[in-house]
Amino acid sequence: MKLIDGELEKSYLVDSIDGGCIAKDRLWKLGIIPGVIVKIKRKAPLKGPFMIEVNGADVVIGRGIALKINIREI
Amino acid sequence: MKTVALIGQPNCGKSTLFNQLAGYKSLSANFPGATVEYTKGQTYIGDEVVDVIDLPGTYSLSWYDDAEKETARALFSEDIDVIVNILDASTLVRSIELTIELMSLEKPIVVTLNMMDEALKKGIYINVKKLESILGVKVVPIIAKKGKGIKDLIEAIGNAQKPAKRCVYSKEVEKYIKMVMECIDKNNLKNEWPTKLMATKAIEGFEACQKPLENSVCKNALKEAKFALRDGLVIVQERHALCMDIFENSAVVKKKEKRTLEDRLDNILLHPFFGYLSMLAIFFSVFYIVFHGGVPVENFIINIFNNVDTFLEHSLSQHKLILAIVKGIVDGVGAAFGIAFPYLLPFLFLISLLEDIGYLPRIGFLLDSTMHKMGLHGTSIIPFISGYGCSVPAIMATRILKSKKEKVISAFLASLVPCSARTTVIMGLVGYFIGYGYAILLYGINILIIMISGMILKKLLRGVSPEMALDIPPYRLPTFKTLILKTWHKVKDFVFLAVPILIGGSVVLTLISYYHLDNAINGVFKPLMEILGLPSSIAAVLLFGILKKELTLLMLYQALGLSSLSQIPNALTPNQMLIFTIFVIFYIPCLATIAAIRKEVGLKNTIYISTATLLLATFLAFSTKLLINIL
Repeated sequence: MKLIDGELEKSYLVDSIDGGCIAKDRLWKLGIIPGVIVKIKRKAPLKGPFMIEVNGADVVIGRGIALKINIREI
Repeated sequence: MKTVALIGQPNCGKSTLFNQLAGYKSLSANFPGATVEYTKGQTYIGDEVVDVIDLPGTYSLSWYDDAEKETARALFSEDIDVIVNILDASTLVRSIELTIELMSLEKPIVVTLNMMDEALKKGIYINVKKLESILGVKVVPIIAKKGKGIKDLIEAIGNAQKPAKRCVYSKEVEKYIKMVMECIDKNNLKNEWPTKLMATKAIEGFEACQKPLENSVCKNALKEAKFALRDGLVIVQERHALCMDIFENSAVVKKKEKRTLEDRLDNILLHPFFGYLSMLAIFFSVFYIVFHGGVPVENFIINIFNNVDTFLEHSLSQHKLILAIVKGIVDGVGAAFGIAFPYLLPFLFLISLLEDIGYLPRIGFLLDSTMHKMGLHGTSIIPFISGYGCSVPAIMATRILKSKKEKVISAFLASLVPCSARTTVIMGLVGYFIGYGYAILLYGINILIIMISGMILKKLLRGVSPEMALDIPPYRLPTFKTLILKTWHKVKDFVFLAVPILIGGSVVLTLISYYHLDNAINGVFKPLMEILGLPSSIAAVLLFGILKKELTLLMLYQALGLSSLSQIPNALTPNQMLIFTIFVIFYIPCLATIAAIRKEVGLKNTIYISTATLLLATFLAFSTKLLINIL
């Protein structure tokens, strides 16, 4: 499943990031790497961005990017 | 002279350290040909003076936006002698990723661990000596906010050495990186990147490193490496593991961090409903303080300059030409101070405060989706809100935006927001003579036009506006010193920028009226005025309005040959007032704003923006005329 379909307050394992995502490098630098666990903390209304917790830090990512992150339930 | 560059990830306290090192004697500068800004200052190392530059924060050398690109370019250039890499000790793992990249540049480097106090609060105990021996680089712990450890850091910068170690991946990974490296060397495909870093980034799929190889003989080597290393994922994971290793070997985490206060604050400030409500309240307060606090101060300053004017008129009444020039200079200085002190100073202080507390990235989270439709991001709301006070700080606020496309769109749209001067015209003419309902309607129309213009610009302008992917810093209490210095840097920019322009413009305009060139101007613009259905004597007024927008109202009655403002209805019909006001809201930004736009987005874009606003104003005023005729 995609990160965009994830539920609030739930933790997921990052499976992979789709190719062709120009933000891939940035995601890696923010610690969003396959094998890492992320928690969806907030979703902004009106198709706004997601706030997720990675390694104890909060990261905000746009929906377009959340669409390209594949996750797995744990 | 030696140059020392400060570099670190966003929110690592880089600017605070810069202020500690270089103090108030610094200037902001733009990268050549770019709209990205950095700050430059000087400091002493022993008896030697060195240049210190504060580069924009970046997560990585493989850039994601214009600001990060310029930072990387600056680091590759020969001009930098020592790199000072600032790490947020409380997010050590992520910060080391950048350190590893910087080490591969093989320049003298010092690593400094900032926010040691915050790390301790999180229960992270870092063994600095151990970290130093693992990295093979001098490490200095500091608390920039409190000025702790700065002396040691300066000493370390003076003795900076090239890194003693290099990042080495596993055998399998190194094999493929080496294969690509050899191909790059053999075929002379090297660009500004160090070869190993270029090969690594190319395998990871970073556009700027990958492209030169894709269309070359190295195409197959790259393809093979990418296949074997799963498009670079293996490298990334290894590097991440390496960072974790470094962290675990040099730090101990004693207690699990608790962030209850922060989470509770976020629960309100980022709430789907209360979040927006508190945002409105915060913006309203900023606007209220700046606007209402500013008006009396502005009046006070204008009063002083008016007294000087009266004095000059008395003492120079024999020399009309000299009087005109001197008066022009005095008015120009008055106009500049009348903006800088009452509006700019408090505004920039408050924005710096919101920035340092950590609220600005949170606004980005709240407003991202709305702004996205205009090719902008959540953070671009700042220029808009501040535009209601004064356009100059609004344009300057576009500095916090990172992509050029975003900056140009924001600068254009922010200049359309009615500033306090245009509010005077809207309220004084339409509000007073036609009705306040119409005045409010004009504000509504204005917002609508801004949104439509934004959507059109998003389509017209080339370049990507990358989607948001940023880290949200914890709330932090800023120090007064940092805030004051930050505000001072920005106000200083304005004074240097606007004063000469306002003086020059003011002198030219007084000369125009001294030589009675008003009629000639009115003649030139007669066709435009006829199209809009306005008396031709108004053209000169509009020209003066480019200096200061409120002049369009103050000079209107004189130009129409009336003795006071209250007689305007004798010369203009309500329809003409409406058309005139709409034109004034949208046409060419005032001179100080034009100067600010030029500084932020360059001359070419300034010309485009000025022309576009003139066309937009004409179009809207003309449409209003047609609409009124139909109705």
